[in-house]
Amino acid sequence: MYGFEIIQELASVLSGNEVIVSSNGNISRQVYHYCPQPQIYLRGSMGLPVSVGLGLALARPETQILIILGDGNLLMGLGSLSTTSYVRPSNLKILILDNGVYATTGLQNTTSGTLNYPALLDGFGLSNIVPILRNDSIEDIKDKIQIWLHSPELSVLPALVDAKAPTLSNIPLHPEEISALQRGSND
Amino acid sequence: MINPAEFLDFLGEKGFSFASGVPCSYFSRMINEFETHQESITYIPATREDEAVGIASGVAFGGSRAFVIMQNSGYATIGDALTSLAQLYKLPMLLVISWRGLEPDRDFPEHSLMGDVTEDTLRGYQVPYWELTDEGWQQTIELALTKMEESSRPVALLVKQGVL
Repeated sequence: MYGFEIIQELASVLSGNEVIVSSNGNISRQVYHYCPQPQIYLRGSMGLPVSVGLGLALARPETQILIILGDGNLLMGLGSLSTTSYVRPSNLKILILDNGVYATTGLQNTTSGTLNYPALLDGFGLSNIVPILRNDSIEDIKDKIQIWLHSPELSVLPALVDAKAPTLSNIPLHPEEISALQRGSND
Repeated sequence: MINPAEFLDFLGEKGFSFASGVPCSYFSRMINEFETHQESITYIPATREDEAVGIASGVAFGGSRAFVIMQNSGYATIGDALTSLAQLYKLPMLLVISWRGLEPDRDFPEHSLMGDVTEDTLRGYQVPYWELTDEGWQQTIELALTKMEESSRPVALLVKQGVL
């Protein structure tokens, strides 16, 4: 299973009322192409998707906020897991797509291969779903996504995935337009 | 010295319902006051200053306002959070930055160089800034917030020792 296929599975079960914060590079492009629009597609600020999602979840407590980020982004902003656990907004869900590489910059290895996600997330005090594994059946993957998406509390779903990204065009929106579209949905 | 409770009241009246950041000893009185202002301002302690800018950015995406407290040493770590997030996406926020490393602070050499280049780095990153002083502090904040709303971008207050 590839990361983009998880995003496609997620897209098929969204209600349309969620707001997604996606991490810079391939993941933002995939969210733009496969999920309902508009979402918050981060273009830079590596390491900060969890922080942005946390702030958004606090400002919009009635809205379900989904953060989708890769292992490189997670490791760069690991401290934000502690902050998020401390604040604990129930309308926030985090999906980690771990392909073991910086795929956007040319598949250089990250250091995530040594991580034990259940132990890591338990250690941060974060409720977490049994990780999606590369050889999980599609039914298992759908089940884990559903359990995560409908969790009544802050919840993290780690997914170990293969590294291959489809060739997708860049997001045509300027970041100022991405913000303006969110302002529209705040009104 | 500005009364930190009045400072928080003033920012609350100006529409700030969230704050984040990393402490400075210059702000210890203000941080203590967050407890008595929990109803109006939610303070989220961050692990790093760029994370605090990320949180304030998320708050701004959601249509609310956050201010961010940090030392100037922390300001030195937020360049990418400013340029590729808060400034790029036009997310307004107020940065309240302690100005360490000035003459009375020279026995803390870890702050000296940053103290010397603080204004240069603010100008370099195109962050409009004002020095906050006892005198006319409300007017200074109003000037900063007018710029923040006009530009829809971060602005900064520099705070020397003993002001807050």
